[in-house]
Amino acid sequence: MGGIRNEIRRLRFEHGEMTQQQLAEKIGLTRQTVNAIEQGKYSPSLEAAFRIAEVFALPLESVFHHGKD
Amino acid sequence: MSFREKTAWISLLSMAGIYGFYFWSLSGGAGGVRLGLLDTIILLVAVQVVLNIAIAAFAPKDAKAPRDERDKLIEGKSARFAYAVLAACVALAVFFGAFTPPVVFNLNAFLFFLVMAEVLRALSQIVLYRRSA
Repeated sequence: MGGIRNEIRRLRFEHGEMTQQQLAEKIGLTRQTVNAIEQGKYSPSLEAAFRIAEVFALPLESVFHHGKD
Repeated sequence: MSFREKTAWISLLSMAGIYGFYFWSLSGGAGGVRLGLLDTIILLVAVQVVLNIAIAAFAPKDAKAPRDERDKLIEGKSARFAYAVLAACVALAVFFGAFTPPVVFNLNAFLFFLVMAEVLRALSQIVLYRRSA
């Protein structure tokens, strides 16, 4: 779980300072879950990860990374 | 704090408080005040309904929202933990009961195991929500 990082926080701000609540509503998760994903405390399902990437119109690997660097 | 975490807090505190008083009064505490099992269950249901309605009134949108994947994961993990606790307690009761004939199973002992498993289920839910699953 700890090896997955993401760019959600940066992407939210680049998309009109989208709030966690707005993103949560778009992908059908709660705001608390979006916050947990953003902080790297919870790894989303593959389906949720694809939905997040679709919101930002980016491929999955541009939003989520696996690795140490 | 999410709506689901608040409901877990309500379960934990109401069960620990009300069943705690019930078992305490059974053991002779509470200054001779006794609460019957049916009264205890009715009181618990009433307290939980009132508190859940109260938190839903403050956040109706959260209350109506369906459980998401993280909620379901946390529920599954905590239910698995509670089942293990309950199974271990029942196995111990059966094991020790077998050596003290005649075998009489105390209803309150089993109720205590059930309450303990439920309290631990709610507690583990809260811990998992705090740790974000």
